[in-house]
Amino acid sequence: MQITRRHFFRFMGAAGASVAVRPASAHAWQTKAPPDPFGCLVDLTRCVGCRKCEEACAEVNGLPEPERVNCQCTIFEKNRRPDETAFTVINRYYTGKVDAFDKPVPTYAKVQCMHCQDPVCVSACIVGALTKEDTGAVRYDVTKCIGCRYCMVACPFEIPAYEYFDPVTPRVMKCTFCQERIKETGGLPGCAAICPTETITFGRRETLLAVAKKRLKENPGIYIQHVYGEKEVGGTAWMYISSVPFETVNLPELPDAPAPKLSETIQHSLFSYLWFPVLLFGVLGAFMARCNKGDHKATSPDKGGA
Amino acid sequence: MIKKMGGIVCLMILWAAVCTAQVWQAPDQEQAKERAKEVVPFVKEYQDDCRISRRICLMDAGVSLDDVKEVYFLLDNPIIKQREDHYEPVRFAHKRHAALVNDCSKCHHFRPKDENALETTRCSACHQDSFNPDHPERIGLKAAFHQQCMECHQEEAKGPVDCTGCHLPHVPDHKELVKLPDKPDPIQVTKACLECHDTQGEDMLKTAHWLWRGPSPYTTGHRKDILHGKGTTALNNF
Repeated sequence: MQITRRHFFRFMGAAGASVAVRPASAHAWQTKAPPDPFGCLVDLTRCVGCRKCEEACAEVNGLPEPERVNCQCTIFEKNRRPDETAFTVINRYYTGKVDAFDKPVPTYAKVQCMHCQDPVCVSACIVGALTKEDTGAVRYDVTKCIGCRYCMVACPFEIPAYEYFDPVTPRVMKCTFCQERIKETGGLPGCAAICPTETITFGRRETLLAVAKKRLKENPGIYIQHVYGEKEVGGTAWMYISSVPFETVNLPELPDAPAPKLSETIQHSLFSYLWFPVLLFGVLGAFMARCNKGDHKATSPDKGGA
Repeated sequence: MIKKMGGIVCLMILWAAVCTAQVWQAPDQEQAKERAKEVVPFVKEYQDDCRISRRICLMDAGVSLDDVKEVYFLLDNPIIKQREDHYEPVRFAHKRHAALVNDCSKCHHFRPKDENALETTRCSACHQDSFNPDHPERIGLKAAFHQQCMECHQEEAKGPVDCTGCHLPHVPDHKELVKLPDKPDPIQVTKACLECHDTQGEDMLKTAHWLWRGPSPYTTGHRKDILHGKGTTALNNF
């Protein structure tokens, strides 16, 4: 079995959790999610794969024009990921759904940063270059970033990308949720503003959840009765509803617990009142003292003998 | 000499005809343009009927094809334009759709709750700006157009479903863009095209137009030549 870097970190995290002894005094982990964040609801049944969102995103964020922007003929043949030149991409999936004429129906799925309520990238960032804003956006501050790329390892959706081509001033690149635009009243993210079919609904997260649940309830034959992102990794600002299973459109099955909960609990309990380092060095000190004592006894007769 | 003069006169008449000829416009084009600019008051509440009862209501009210006053609309509302303005207006043949679909409730799917209001109202009365926080479930005008048009065109397998089917592609005047010598040879023409349309050029190289091979039954000497074709021996003229 091949162990990837990601698996290794996961295993080490789990191992750490199992050995960690939590002192009773440690505070229980609390969510740091903003109270009333913005969000987006992506309705995959509405997306027609026009890739206007990719175009708008590139324009708004000053990125290079997407590949083959006006031609949808071959672009969907490969499965793409957001990278350092594109914050969002649309992929096409044939999931076995057919129309009335037995013709396969494609499902288009947008990929971008999910802007988690409790982002694990923010927790993993050792210099605070990533922050969760009150708007709901996970913001990246290039002036603080040291380029360790822990965020890339940590992200459960594998979103942050890195400008490897730039050796002097590389940046971590990911969707900004158009933070500067949505901060202003009435401002919309570039992709939501241009979407012709309102696949992307922008609004307060709570409102969107209600809208999503209403849509699911009113069209039970169309939708899968699940709002992806309502509870996944503690909830995300971007949520999806779909007529096909979420795994088939590359939205991974994830636990409901916020990802930073485990790691932060371990870290905070290990270092509260410095009890763990004190214990560790105490034990080590005692062990060394014992070893030295034994050595002394063993070596002294030799000395006398010589 | 007379022949020459006649030729010049002919040319002059032709030139005058070209200059005076206008691009054809529908007689009600100006009216449609004016109408497209209007923004009507927002209908906050609507009567939540099912499709069948809505259809019955419209039939009871006696709404028929004769009530269709405007033959066609230009879908060019300022509500959409204030957010994004990329496309030329879409022409919507209202009366033609009404006659073909023969079911007004397909588009006029709800009516205002106000009893004094007319039985049918325009799209932009209920569907205005997107993501209105007071009416989060109400889709915006742009989405209403696209969802309504595309869904029906797909269901009925009639009418355009691709972008350029309704939105006229914004094709710039190539007279200004393309600079060619007086009598260009094919290579020069192709080169001029490829200057901008390079992706299309690359795509063409992957098609049978470029890669075909096999016998050419109507060409002497190549009737049984299986290695014939642009993919193998045939020369391309550029």
